[in-house]
Amino acid sequence: MARTRREFLKDAAMLAAGLGLGSAPVPRLALALEGLAAQRPGLVWLQGQSCSGCSVSLLNGERPGPAELLTRYFSVWFHPTLSAATGDEALAAVERAVNAGGYLLAVEGAVPLGMPRACTVGQEPLVDLVSRAAARARAVLAVGTCASFGGIPAAATNPTGAAPMGEILAKAGLSVPHLNVPGCPAHPHWIVGTAVLVLHKNDVTVDKEHRPTAFFGRPVHDQCPHFARYERQEFARTPGEDGCLFKLGCQGALTHADCPWRGWNGGTSWCVRGRAPCTGCARPGFARDPAYPFFRLNEGRTA
Amino acid sequence: MTREEDHAMATIVLDPVTRIEGHLRVETRWDGPRLAEARVAGEMFRGFEAILRGRDALDAPVITQRICGVCPVSHAVASCRALEQALGIRVPPNGRLLRSLVLGANFLQSHLLHFYHLSILDFVDVAAVLEADSSNSAVRALQAWVEAEVRSNRVLPAAPFLPQWPAGLPPEARWAGRALGHYLKALEVRQAAHRMAARFGGRVPHTATLVPGGATAGVDPLAVEGFRSELASVRGFVEEVYLPDALELAARFPRLADQGVGPDQYLTFGAFEEADGRLWLPAGVWTGDRLDPLDPGRITEETAHSRYRGADRARPLAGETEPAPEKPGAYSWLKAPRYEGRPVEVGPLARLRVAAASGLPEVKEAGERWLAPAGLRLSDLSGVTGRHLARALEAWMLIRRMETWLDRLDLAGPTVGPYEPTASGEGAGLVEAPRGALGHWVRVRDLRIETYQCIVPSTWNFSPRDGRGRPGPVEAALEGLEPPQGEPRGLAVARVVRSFDPCIACAVH
Ligand code: SF4
Ligand code: SF4
Repeated sequence: MARTRREFLKDAAMLAAGLGLGSAPVPRLALALEGLAAQRPGLVWLQGQSCSGCSVSLLNGERPGPAELLTRYFSVWFHPTLSAATGDEALAAVERAVNAGGYLLAVEGAVPLGMPRACTVGQEPLVDLVSRAAARARAVLAVGTCASFGGIPAAATNPTGAAPMGEILAKAGLSVPHLNVPGCPAHPHWIVGTAVLVLHKNDVTVDKEHRPTAFFGRPVHDQCPHFARYERQEFARTPGEDGCLFKLGCQGALTHADCPWRGWNGGTSWCVRGRAPCTGCARPGFARDPAYPFFRLNEGRTA
Repeated sequence: MTREEDHAMATIVLDPVTRIEGHLRVETRWDGPRLAEARVAGEMFRGFEAILRGRDALDAPVITQRICGVCPVSHAVASCRALEQALGIRVPPNGRLLRSLVLGANFLQSHLLHFYHLSILDFVDVAAVLEADSSNSAVRALQAWVEAEVRSNRVLPAAPFLPQWPAGLPPEARWAGRALGHYLKALEVRQAAHRMAARFGGRVPHTATLVPGGATAGVDPLAVEGFRSELASVRGFVEEVYLPDALELAARFPRLADQGVGPDQYLTFGAFEEADGRLWLPAGVWTGDRLDPLDPGRITEETAHSRYRGADRARPLAGETEPAPEKPGAYSWLKAPRYEGRPVEVGPLARLRVAAASGLPEVKEAGERWLAPAGLRLSDLSGVTGRHLARALEAWMLIRRMETWLDRLDLAGPTVGPYEPTASGEGAGLVEAPRGALGHWVRVRDLRIETYQCIVPSTWNFSPRDGRGRPGPVEAALEGLEPPQGEPRGLAVARVVRSFDPCIACAVH
């Protein structure tokens, strides 16, 4: 819906604050947003072996919220949870998008490389569909830990040979710009912020795991309000006890994400504020290794 | 949407069914104007039960939540309750109440999402909004947007709201303005419900705080009051908007009241722990005109038409999940749960039936306040619009119960019990998800998971045929469907399917 320059500046200030970027990049972000709104690039969202949690999380975004994303900044050509079109009409919409090309492709969920029948859309194996769609995309966003790194579907014994998007792109020999936005689920700011930055002249710094450093640059532990208590060794020993959660199994030191100051659900809370350890949900190895449990409460309890 | 064919045995396929959770294919065969045979298939498999085997017992609530991003809280509660039973862990009253509050908040976001964002586009002609005479600024902005879009040369103008079914949607401006205005408003209200869940859940989707023994979050008075004030705003929306819209839907589409009626066998596991551990919503089995107590021993899962190896029929803890993608005769990744060998419907309608038969006072109040003025009775709710109404009534009853749970929290009491597990044991965690009865069954040995099986609401409703060829509840609800001339058959099918609120990632897991 139509916007004035002043409104873009306001949105940009919100977004910059949300991204933790300070005020310096606001004019640049305003331009990026204005560019987005003028163009409203196509967004094609596909789901693989996902729980739809990242889609639900996207709907939890505030400033910009889902209504603005749908009508102001993107043209949501296809999203399985939102599109009115069903069945053949939905397949036709995807085809029309792929033919036109130039969209941002978001993939949620892992791709069952080892068992193509384990995920199909209109009876086409997902691996074929995402490869076709990625070939015509302007950039590919792997949304969530499953699409970024494999996540729970790829956890031992990986019954379906589930693979992350990076592997699918490599296998298809595609060199399209590719970003990972992990998190189980991904935080809405991480998704939207990455999309805005990548669409604006691909203006986004990433690490070797293809993660934007704006969100995933530092470990949770370094930014945690309990850090001083960790240093003083004031540990919670039982569930629900106040204190640093390290002894209960907290993976904050291994997990790069900005949850401590961003908070979840509009800043309402986050894991550690709820006295629960960080389970490393944005970590490349999240849930993959059964030898590495989320809680350390059973340690030493059995032979 | 799909080919409309006139010849006698037309086949209509919906794949993918959008605006649901997950990957669903619906194949229908028509005998003249009548739907003769339906097959519904889940098209995505991950293998959670195999992934859980051998892991630390406390991994289960973290991992099983990821079965579903729409109802993770139900999985967390089912998993915690199964482990509490297996390992002998006690839950303090606050722990029960916090669980019920987080679960309730997630029910609310799920019901709102389902009605406004997943379903309403099956009942509204989006283009008709252009003629709406609305003073609501959001609706006027939407009009301007739709107008600019349809005039543009975009690849898919006004996506994702268009394209819609080519016919069968009422071209009524006032209704379109009202419904789409509420679609936008509901985007905000369901966020409020999710913020409520995060206050005691840490965050959502996928809570952090629910562990065997309760919830780690504590009862900070600020969180309690914040929860209370957001609950009041959600209540306002449910009373002023959601229930009136669900009633309006029933009034506008009277034909849909008895379309898509299920097998008339309803099952619930009961849910929402009170402070003393009793359940607010009762468990039970309603068969046409009789309420029987639930006996979980009568549950089996069949795999004759499911893509798995092994025995065709098993009790939950004896079940196996060995994928066989190319198994002959199999057409779905869902198993087929049966109660005493019969398919049963689960979900809000089942909960309402069982609660009414058990004499739950809130049901009577809900009927008197909302249904009676519209000339409806509870027993009238059974088809497409009845399921939507049952969900809205449940949201209202639940909010009022949640208010009492908030009042009963003991600000000085613990919210999680001590972790003093026995090393081995078996447990069943039975609860309700927004979509119906959810069960987790676990066997633990030396604090590791030996066996884990889940039977999920949409597994019941969307099950394929069983060994005796008996269709699942949704298949049965579709068979016999006879949409009027001019209504796309795919639309009629989609309305029935969506009224069950499918969650297919859940159903297969
Ligand atoms: S709670 Fe976790 S992230 Fe915070 S200081 Fe302790 S170990 Fe680090
Ligand atoms: S704190 Fe850890 S587990 Fe919690 S959301 Fe952040 S990365 Fe995920």
